[in-house]
Amino acid sequence: MSISSQDPSSPRQFIDVRKFTTQIVRHRSWFVSFIVLDILVVMAITSDPILIETWNYIVPGIAVTIQIAIVSFILATIVGLVTALGRISSNSLIYNSSTLYVELFRGLPLLVIILIFSFVITPALIDFVTTIPFLDDLLQHLVGIPEDRIATTLLRTRDIEETTRIIFAFALTYGAFMSEVFRAGIESIGRGQMEAARSLGMTYTQAMRYVILPQAVRNVLPAMANNFVLLLKDTSLASVVAVPEISHLTRQYSSNRFRYPQGLLILSFIYANLTIIMSMGVYWLESRLKTDKRED
Amino acid sequence: MTEPKQPIIQIRNASKRFRNVLALNNVNLDIHAGQVVVIIGPSGSGKSTLLRCINRLEVLDEGDIWVDGMQLDHSATNINRIREEVGMVFQQFNLFPNLTVLQNVMLAQQIVRKRSKDAAERTARGLLEKVGIPEKADVFPPKLSGGQQQRVAIARALAMNPKIMLFDEPTSALDPEMIKEVLDVMLDLAKEGITMVVVTHEMGFARAAANRIIFMDQGEKLEDTTPEGLFESPESQRLQQFLSKILSH
Ligand SMILES: Nc1ncnc2c1ncn2[C@@H]1O[C@H](COP(=O)(O)OP(=O)(O)O)[C@@H](O)[C@H]1O
Ligand SMILES: [Mg+2]
Repeated sequence: MSISSQDPSSPRQFIDVRKFTTQIVRHRSWFVSFIVLDILVVMAITSDPILIETWNYIVPGIAVTIQIAIVSFILATIVGLVTALGRISSNSLIYNSSTLYVELFRGLPLLVIILIFSFVITPALIDFVTTIPFLDDLLQHLVGIPEDRIATTLLRTRDIEETTRIIFAFALTYGAFMSEVFRAGIESIGRGQMEAARSLGMTYTQAMRYVILPQAVRNVLPAMANNFVLLLKDTSLASVVAVPEISHLTRQYSSNRFRYPQGLLILSFIYANLTIIMSMGVYWLESRLKTDKRED
Repeated sequence: MTEPKQPIIQIRNASKRFRNVLALNNVNLDIHAGQVVVIIGPSGSGKSTLLRCINRLEVLDEGDIWVDGMQLDHSATNINRIREEVGMVFQQFNLFPNLTVLQNVMLAQQIVRKRSKDAAERTARGLLEKVGIPEKADVFPPKLSGGQQQRVAIARALAMNPKIMLFDEPTSALDPEMIKEVLDVMLDLAKEGITMVVVTHEMGFARAAANRIIFMDQGEKLEDTTPEGLFESPESQRLQQFLSKILSH
């Protein structure tokens, strides 16, 4: 920050227009330019019937994209938290299995993981379940599903939606990333906190639950949000297994009608708006956490 | 189970090693209920390690410790029961920065002692009154001075109604002008008859409150004497050297 020559008690510093403008120009020009660009694109879209048609074709995919991102993110957060606890466990079986999971999923390209889940793991799982001989009886007697409906249950018909399959791929991959975020967060909390909690008679679990994790999660909120932005962009990989999200719809439309420039313009427009709005959210979160710390 | 004359803390042949450092070397110590024991000794002499073994933040390599008739062993229930009986105050306060002062004092009461929210709050407010900062109940710890934080830490430990309080250099991280407010709280406690084991170099406190003074060096208990005995007839040469060092500044 620049050093202000003004007397800090002077009320003028609150209405220093020049300083305010400098701030905006220096640090927010990119955003203003983005908004201007955005408006130009919107004007272009609304005035061109071909672009409107492209837009209408792709837009239903937004809900799918966001749905995949949010559901995967929630699952990844849970998986990541549990794995992080495993990674700091003193039990060597737990430590080693969670580390193996993390290294494996971080080591494989996400695209490969998606293909594996779609074409190998889910079919194998269905095969396995459908070969259980008494499954029909079980469904009838225990769960109470009527006989005529069993034939059409999800597993029988092998009809597990592509969307569900890839959500597992995203959740497990990002769970591995997020576990490292949470682990760093937990390790950033000094040893004294755990010792104080334990000396008050709390069990390890209670100390984690009430003392360590609330502080750790707070410290890693911006990193979590960044992971969400990355995940949202990575959902475009779902297009390779024909999940009807925006990238897939764009490819479909563009190649059918041979309108790549139009399709990609709309697609980029949608992604950029989704991610930049979220990035602004991350900045806001970071600055809020920082001022909170300074107040302390 | 506990006979009246049995020491509330019994330490037998306690040894503890960290890699190549012998932090405790065959320490024997009996402390009776109501005693105030001050432990002194140069840095690295094993004072913290001894305290931390009593509430099992560290585990002995050899020897045994009994607290209030219970022998420290490896079972989790045993450890948690011991820790409920033994409160600890740390040099760095270790308050929970994400909770208010009041919540700091209430948390363990609710989840460990299973007290209702109302009961926990009543106890907490009473103790904050006792340590002299009732008005800070709703403040977050990082906004308090060191002396205030340490008094909250004492209240937090007392809220569990421990039979024994361990203090590990409670005033060493404080600015000089705040030392007295913490020592005053500790003096009050000593008068109430709670068993206290205090690592400190505040000789004024030792004179005023201690029944016994233990001098440790290189993991060994070298002297076990009274405050008067300490200054009048320090037996070992190492104690004489140590005393001349801390009294000269
Ligand atoms: N967690 C630990 N890991 C390794 N060495 C330790 C640890 N805790 C204490 N020590 C060593 O044990 C010795 C005694 O330490 P401590 O009990 O903290 O001494 P004091 O409190 O008297 O200064 C020191 O040499 C110290 O370096
Ligand atoms: Mg120490």
